Amino acid sequence: MSDTAIEATGLGKRFGRRGGRALHDCAFRLPTGRVCALVGPNGAGKSTLLALAAGLLAPTDGRLRVLGTSPAAARPRVGYVAQDKPLYPQLTIAEILRMGADLNPGHWDPAAAEHVVAGGDLEPGTRIRSLSGGQRTRVALALALGKRPELLLLDEPMADLDPLARHELMGTLMAQAAQYGTTIVMSSHVVAELEDSCDHLLLVGGGRIRLAGEIDDLLAAHVRVTGAADSDRLDAHAVVESRVTGRQLTALIRPAGPLPAGWRASAPTLEELVLAHLRNPEAPVLTTAPAATEESAA
Amino acid sequence: MTTDPTVPRPRTARWLLRLHRPALYGFAALVIVLAGLELALAGPLADAAAAGWRQFDACHTSICSYDQAAILRYKDYYEYATYALDALPFLVAAWAGAALTGRELETGTARLSWTQGISPARWLTVRLVLPAALVAAATCLLVWLHHRAWAAGRGRIDTASGWYTLVTFHANGPTIAALALAGLAAGTLAGLLLRRTLPALVLGVLVTVGVAVLAQQLMPHLWPTVTRVTTLQQGGIGSAIVLDQGLLSKSGAHLPMPNCTTAAACDAAFAKASGYYTVYHPYAHYWPLQLTTTALLLAITALLALASCLVLRRLTGALRAAGTAVEAKDALVTA
Repeated sequence: MSDTAIEATGLGKRFGRRGGRALHDCAFRLPTGRVCALVGPNGAGKSTLLALAAGLLAPTDGRLRVLGTSPAAARPRVGYVAQDKPLYPQLTIAEILRMGADLNPGHWDPAAAEHVVAGGDLEPGTRIRSLSGGQRTRVALALALGKRPELLLLDEPMADLDPLARHELMGTLMAQAAQYGTTIVMSSHVVAELEDSCDHLLLVGGGRIRLAGEIDDLLAAHVRVTGAADSDRLDAHAVVESRVTGRQLTALIRPAGPLPAGWRASAPTLEELVLAHLRNPEAPVLTTAPAATEESAA
Repeated sequence: MTTDPTVPRPRTARWLLRLHRPALYGFAALVIVLAGLELALAGPLADAAAAGWRQFDACHTSICSYDQAAILRYKDYYEYATYALDALPFLVAAWAGAALTGRELETGTARLSWTQGISPARWLTVRLVLPAALVAAATCLLVWLHHRAWAAGRGRIDTASGWYTLVTFHANGPTIAALALAGLAAGTLAGLLLRRTLPALVLGVLVTVGVAVLAQQLMPHLWPTVTRVTTLQQGGIGSAIVLDQGLLSKSGAHLPMPNCTTAAACDAAFAKASGYYTVYHPYAHYWPLQLTTTALLLAITALLALASCLVLRRLTGALRAAGTAVEAKDALVTA
């Protein structure tokens, strides 16, 4: 049993022979048992990364290990919900859950799947084609959870849900994570949506990993500083972003030592951290978790 | 993490049948209607038409009474049945390209299957093998019934289609069953390549048309031909698959058929000839030609299925957990 849910080294994916790079030289490690926010702007490569981890796409370069094995071998232990929540429109809810049971013999949990569907007040005899976007999301999540996965990959899971359903389903996911130690990776381009529930962050921008690690560690590694524009330079520290408004300079830095006098320091919010990194593609990459371990390579 | 042999296998076939239930019912209805038509052709329709021809042939006066309607009915229904059977492979190709793979990849339900306990290898294998079994069984039954209906008219109905005509040759033998399997594989491959419903439907049909044309072009060359010389009075051989025909000069050289427009020109051309030569396949070559063409079509089917496998592997990476991809390929080819 590996303690690593996903581990990438030099991971790249290119679509078509001359196509653009969706992902380039990605390296990170996600330990098991985490609830990870996969954040980045539209088109950053979040969906590609999730599809690679689910064993649905083959990487062009590099290596990807999922639950200590190849993504293809890990497929039975991985749950995946694609962004557009594909389901067979001609089946009823009851049929599609029965399909889940038939296709996952030996590890299907009907109670877990029905619990998710029941929360939405849905008739089992309703056909998938007559469901709303949010209701489809609920059924797709029920299929993924009924499989009792060790790793759950969710691509924009909450986008179609109303706030109430979002809150309720997030609660269901967190209960799943707490009860079975399921590792969950959720992508979103809205940071605030995931901030309260996640303890790990993967920030993707321009096809590269920009930040990777425990959210607390990442926050602790950064300081927002404010001072007069002519005060001592910040050269000794890694500056992610700095802005001058009038005579005042505000910057987000990774302090390398004690701050010089004249700077007021405060803790950044996660959103500030993410936005600062996305606005400044030149900012150095930070991964607080080791990128490769001897144990998981074995 | 290793797969436990005691764990039951996912019931993939059941869900494939459920997802394509309307197509399955439609296909079953088509097969039943065609089978009924072939049975009627072999029995009452052929008998009525033969009786009509007997009346006609026995008549030597200028005004005769014979059952013309029965003769025309047999001829029309025979043509409907033959064309319908010959069109079946293209219908299978259209369905396979559009519904079996194209739509699943377009809407993303293929990915749903791959993350719901069906490996891509199994997903493709079931999609090729199960419809192949159904299509092969149905077309073989229809071909046998069609051959029966054709044989019922042979020698009794003067307008009955000859064994050598394009539509009857294929509808009468296993070539059409093999072409239907090629259509299934071509449609599947088109869906995997294009990943969209409508373009895959079109490409699947086009590839099948290409395969059919290729097989038709190669068919006469798959078995050694017979060359026969006939006298000018006997005329050239017509009721056969003819590859080449012309005049035989008095010195024994082969001359092309004269393209003459006036009686004088024709007389001049025939004056040089001693007879006709014909390079052809007689009826005795019917089964060798059927079987070699079927083998050719099955080989093309295997190549298309193998290509589907490779395209899917390029799309998703390893088709199975460990190095059993070769095994899956073998299963596809033998299926």
